[in-house]
Amino acid sequence: MRVLLIGGGHSAYFAARAIREIDPDGHLIIIEFTREKVEMLSRTFPSAEVLFQEIDRVEDYIKENSELLDAVIAATESDSLNLRYCRVARENAVPITVGILNNPLNYEIFKKEKINYIIDPYRVITIQLFEILGAPVNVIFSSLVNNLEIASVRILNEKLLHELRSALEKHDDVIAAFVSRTGEISSSPSSVSLGGSAYIMGPREKIEKLLQLSRNVVMR
Amino acid sequence: MSISVIFPTKNRAHYVKRAVRTAFKAHRVEEVIVIDGGSMDDTIRIAEREGAKVIVQSDLIYPGKGIAMRDGAYLASCDILVYLDIDIRNMTPEFIEKLAEPIISGQAEFVKGCFERAAGRVTELVAKPLLRMFYPELAKFRQPLSGEIAGLRKLFYKVEFERGWGVDVGLLIDFYKLGARIMERDIGYKDHDMKPLHALTDMAYEVAAAIMRRAIRDQKVDPRWAEKYMSGVRAMDLGLESERGFV
Repeated sequence: MRVLLIGGGHSAYFAARAIREIDPDGHLIIIEFTREKVEMLSRTFPSAEVLFQEIDRVEDYIKENSELLDAVIAATESDSLNLRYCRVARENAVPITVGILNNPLNYEIFKKEKINYIIDPYRVITIQLFEILGAPVNVIFSSLVNNLEIASVRILNEKLLHELRSALEKHDDVIAAFVSRTGEISSSPSSVSLGGSAYIMGPREKIEKLLQLSRNVVMR
Repeated sequence: MSISVIFPTKNRAHYVKRAVRTAFKAHRVEEVIVIDGGSMDDTIRIAEREGAKVIVQSDLIYPGKGIAMRDGAYLASCDILVYLDIDIRNMTPEFIEKLAEPIISGQAEFVKGCFERAAGRVTELVAKPLLRMFYPELAKFRQPLSGEIAGLRKLFYKVEFERGWGVDVGLLIDFYKLGARIMERDIGYKDHDMKPLHALTDMAYEVAAAIMRRAIRDQKVDPRWAEKYMSGVRAMDLGLESERGFV
């Protein structure tokens, strides 16, 4: 795989590590704008091709190499630059375009620009706090590649328990694991009781429907 | 030459419509960019509706003006960047044209706007004395902290943006060090809100720090002494003042 990663900060470092783990023999090209960081990145990722490039020249590089690139990952410390580079990659038909956000408030702006994949590194804060603090509903994973979602639902009353059981019986593409208040894990809907949690997985729209049901029950 | 107008802003819904429309009326303006600092009001929605390009600044820090200005420069695509405060009540297209004109005519590569009013307190009591001390060539500027500026876009990619209030004076020094042709342009009367005195302490600190950092970088101050002193200041800011105190 031939991947262009742009940026030399925190996000780019973890992106580079992930790319190396997925494809140790792939061609990783990293573009950075400061010579100090280029040197540091060359030492940290010796098998990567690390290039010093001016901010304004990166778009030309993407255009000139778009046919050779499998993916462009924009991970600079500025969402403006990430948006610019993702846009050019998309316009030049690079198969995979990834924008790593610095500020999650830019998610919708990137989405409007039809960027393939948008990564919000801060999303995990919400998910984990929701889990730790016992939120009634928590979307734990929403695949960027497939139509798959994993969520947890706290079983707060009989009605919700009933609705959940019947929904699971109805949809064979939705599967669940149940955790009792004392921590026992089971795959049987009959074993779940009030106060426990259900971890459900399936097509996004069906999971969202179940979550809406749970929210309605909680609201009432 | 085309112009991008950039407005760094936060919670300025009642100014944004007029500002964006006015900017688009100026000669050569091809894009208007609103860099939002995390508004809770309708700033973003109105800016988008008026045809501005909008992005939220990459770091939500206070004050974050420098981050917003940097993101504006990075999003822009025209030859000349013009930065304006969004809350200028008497803004006209001429503000933009006057700022950009010396660049279009080739007289300058970076233009500082100045106004028909007395310079601010931070300007007179902090910025000017420090500039006179370390960068006397820049002490002639009437309003070195003015946020109304214009410059060649490509040059903004060669300078360092301070994160906060120090950005304006930082850019002035950096453009000067870059060897850019700089001039100050009177753009008339500016009607906008003045900051209350208590809000100026942080601003004064950041302006002083921006000048000092550059004085250290440019070896106008003994870098070893300055580094030790500045780390003492940082430690104090973090509540970690050492027993030995400052050097």
